[in-house]
Amino acid sequence: MTRLLEPRAIGMPLERLDGHAKVTGTAPYAFEHALRDPLYLYPLEAAIARGRMTAIDTAEAEALAGVVAVMTPRNAPRLAADDDQELWLLQSEGIHFRGQLVGAVIAQTPEIARHAAALVRIAYEAEPHDAALAADRDDLYKPEQVNPDYAADTDEGDVEAALAAADVAIDATYTTPMEHNNPMEPHTTVAIWEGGVLTLYDSTQGAHSVRTTLAPVFGLAPDKIRIIAPYVGGGFGSKGTAHAHDVLAGLAAQMVPGRPVKFALTRQQMFWLAGYRTPTIQRIRLGAGRDGRLTAIVHEVIEQTARFKEFAEQTATSTRIMYASPNRRTSHRLAKLDVPVPSWMRAPGETPGMFAGEVAMDELAVACGLDPIALRIRNDPAADPQSGKPWSGRKLVECLREGARRFGWDRRAPNPAARREDGWLVGMGVASSTYPAYALPGSRATIRYGEDQRYVVRIGAADIGTGTWTALTQIAADALGCPIEAVRLEIGDSALPHASVEGGSSGINCWGSAIVAAARAFRGQHGAAPVPGAEIGAEMPEDPEAQRFAMHSFGAQFAEVRVNADTGEIRVPRMLGVFSAGRIINPRTARSQFIGGMTMGLSMALHEESVLDPRFGHVVNHDLASYHIAAHADIGDIDAVWLDEVDPHSNPMGSRGIGEIGIVGAAAAIANAAWHATGIRIRDLPITPDKLLA
Amino acid sequence: MYLRPSMVEEALAALAEGGPTTILAGGTDYYPARVGRPLTEDILDITAIAALRGIGERDGALRIGAAVRWTEIAEAALPPSLRCLQLAAREIGGRQIQNAGTLAGNLCNASPAADGVPCLLALDAEVELASARGTRRLPVAEFVRGNRRTARRPDELMTAIIVPRCAEAARSTFLKLGARRYLVISIVMVAALIEAAPDGAIAAARIAVGACSAAAQRLPLLEAVLRGRRLASGIGCLVAAEHLGELAPIDDVRGTAAYRREAARRLVARALDELAAEAAA
Ligand SMILES: Cc1cc2nc3c(=O)[nH]c(=O)nc-3n(C[C@H](O)[C@H](O)[C@H](O)COP(=O)(O)OP(=O)(O)OC[C@H]3O[C@@H](n4cnc5c(N)ncnc54)[C@H](O)[C@@H]3O)c2cc1C
Repeated sequence: MTRLLEPRAIGMPLERLDGHAKVTGTAPYAFEHALRDPLYLYPLEAAIARGRMTAIDTAEAEALAGVVAVMTPRNAPRLAADDDQELWLLQSEGIHFRGQLVGAVIAQTPEIARHAAALVRIAYEAEPHDAALAADRDDLYKPEQVNPDYAADTDEGDVEAALAAADVAIDATYTTPMEHNNPMEPHTTVAIWEGGVLTLYDSTQGAHSVRTTLAPVFGLAPDKIRIIAPYVGGGFGSKGTAHAHDVLAGLAAQMVPGRPVKFALTRQQMFWLAGYRTPTIQRIRLGAGRDGRLTAIVHEVIEQTARFKEFAEQTATSTRIMYASPNRRTSHRLAKLDVPVPSWMRAPGETPGMFAGEVAMDELAVACGLDPIALRIRNDPAADPQSGKPWSGRKLVECLREGARRFGWDRRAPNPAARREDGWLVGMGVASSTYPAYALPGSRATIRYGEDQRYVVRIGAADIGTGTWTALTQIAADALGCPIEAVRLEIGDSALPHASVEGGSSGINCWGSAIVAAARAFRGQHGAAPVPGAEIGAEMPEDPEAQRFAMHSFGAQFAEVRVNADTGEIRVPRMLGVFSAGRIINPRTARSQFIGGMTMGLSMALHEESVLDPRFGHVVNHDLASYHIAAHADIGDIDAVWLDEVDPHSNPMGSRGIGEIGIVGAAAAIANAAWHATGIRIRDLPITPDKLLA
Repeated sequence: MYLRPSMVEEALAALAEGGPTTILAGGTDYYPARVGRPLTEDILDITAIAALRGIGERDGALRIGAAVRWTEIAEAALPPSLRCLQLAAREIGGRQIQNAGTLAGNLCNASPAADGVPCLLALDAEVELASARGTRRLPVAEFVRGNRRTARRPDELMTAIIVPRCAEAARSTFLKLGARRYLVISIVMVAALIEAAPDGAIAAARIAVGACSAAAQRLPLLEAVLRGRRLASGIGCLVAAEHLGELAPIDDVRGTAAYRREAARRLVARALDELAAEAAA
């Protein structure tokens, strides 16, 4: 058993400690750090999808007053390591995708930089490119593993025989489009090269992970590179890794030593330089007895990656743990295209995979004549089907039952298209949700008792708007047995003790565990009445329980959908999510994470779609006027609740992650509700009005 | 050069010089179309010209100055026949856009999805165009010529939109269909104006549909069918596919052509039903 904290501060709905600074505009985001004598960078971007540059004419740009330097492959500083081609910038003339960074203008003002960039003329030798994903491509390949390190394929039992023998079978293909993360704050880096040290004020989910990635790229020792990121305006995974703009700013800074170079991507550039969710084509086959008991599950995924760098989304991994079945097969196949490289976007894998999987379960419920909740309960596995390990706490059934009670599921007609109010067809849908409890290694915290009788808690963690400042302070207070006010937290800087990335919903688990370990070591060493200056550090301990249990969070998503019978307009007046995620550290900020995830899931269900034009290899709707995300008026009554529980195996807080599970299953619940409202089954996202006008 | 005159005459003189001059009102169409590019032409900012401000009566018609913003239209006390325009004003972008953008700019920009255009067609409005050579008036239907094409000559400034007085009984409405609930480029929008006698007989019907052709269009066939009918519940059933013959919708990210055509028919029917329900109330 993990030694659990006595909850005093944790579990309290503390207001964000950084809230006042943010609403008064005094919390500096990356671009806003007040630095002396800044210069501004505007990038040069490739105008073809594949080929090479044959000539670059910078004369006109260089002649413009206010231009300090124009950087191209001809004069750019050399980089040291080319293992990551996304970051191997300006070292050759080659072009891998449209929009690739091929140079930069550094100027006295952002306007001059941008104007000058437009004056640079680049000649290309284009090669034929290929940017169209399709299921029938003959060059699909099996990746060695899928993100982060799962097997690409699994195969248990004999699915074909089980499908052939099944009383009821479902065979359907589901698609999700390319989607872009679009955090509010654009990806931004301010780079300073001074005395052989590179400092980046970066908008990132991980100061240390950016440092670890960039140090070898620049050929610098890790202590010669520092990343500062105290406040970050959202990331959703797109700031979880260093991207090319970090390198471009770092190269530019070396051309103007001592002067800060400020570089923020435009909203448009975020559609090709900051990662995205791959489009997916997913075929699902389910076999079941007449009673709905699953006998076979097959989930075959086709998705894309970039030719120059692989990212393989783990779309089918949730299918490996969701439901009991003696026969199961999952696979991932990729097409290498001349496109930007996909990356993490909130719950990569689970989000598209559970859309397909949970709509398929709804179809199976219909085919078996079962209530969709009853079908899920019937197939709830006693142990993890993949590893055979016991669950640390699988409470999916409780979530479904609690949600059904709160949502008024008993009022749902068994048949679709049964309820019509004032020209609107009304339906209800449900879907399960899940997300693994990841633990990343390497976090460390220090605690020092100061002259001011406060404990300074230091760890290079990130707060990307999620509430880290507040939650870690609560954890530190309970771990030290002191009031919140006696804790002074320092995060967001690679000069602080090493912290793992804010990703995989693992932040609070890893950083909190490190802080608890440090606090316990501190009390062990210095006792309850330390002298000022007393200090100790500790690593996040290995969790011995992690090997013995399958640790996942679960949830149930409910949606009510209204579809206008005349126009197919879709409204979602109500959504409810019930989650089982271990102890909730701060109900106020947790609620924001859950309903934020659900809102993003609604947005995915109804709106989000990046339209890639294969003729040019770029996203046509590359701004927020045409890439729709949900508007306020699209959001009705969204509520999130959670089971009152503590995971005794996960960590001393008894918590699991909460940042991603809110989006998982939300789009499926809406699609299932749209089917229930209309009788029309939508398998291709987004669900736009034209698809529902029968 | 950035000109911001306070008199119409100064503006017309600048336009008469013939250099490339862009007229700027709220800038909400102009700015997004050229973010990040330096100015290569002269700008004539008309927002300081007092004579272009305000909504008032003149010669029995309503005159909306070219610098009048959407928020002012939404908040003005206007006769019920102009309700369509006031409803549209609340659906143009968000509040900040409504506080800056003008009806005249919406017309001069002539996007197929300009929400103001069907309203002005249904209202039988005219535009007033002034140049150093004189002033002329054109019906909106003649002014908006197509996708981003208007009858404005390079030296002309739109000075006002003129809405003729409607019968006391005239009522209008505006419906906008988008791929999300708000802040959206229209897939289809409909403006409908009906003038009914006390016994319910329709004396005049003017219906216009936008975003389904290069420029918004009236539906004369439908209007003819409606004349003389009673404005009563079920009137929307009269709208048939052939009444939309003039429309030529396109496929795009926001919807297919077939969907647009069908949605247009149903939206027109909904507009008529709403006007009937309102008349019955
Ligand atoms: C976020 C956003 C949302 C939007 N949503 C909508 C929407 O929902 N519906 C919609 O219809 N539009 C929408 N628009 C477009 C725009 O706001 C409107 O068309 C607005 O009415 C334009 O008015 P303006 O005063 O800003 O025009 P400006 O941008 O100042 O001018 C537009 C054009 O008209 C010309 N012009 C302006 N005034 C005159 C004049 N008096 N004489 C001659 N030429 C003139 C200008 O030279 C320019 O070519 C949106 C825009 C944005 C940025």
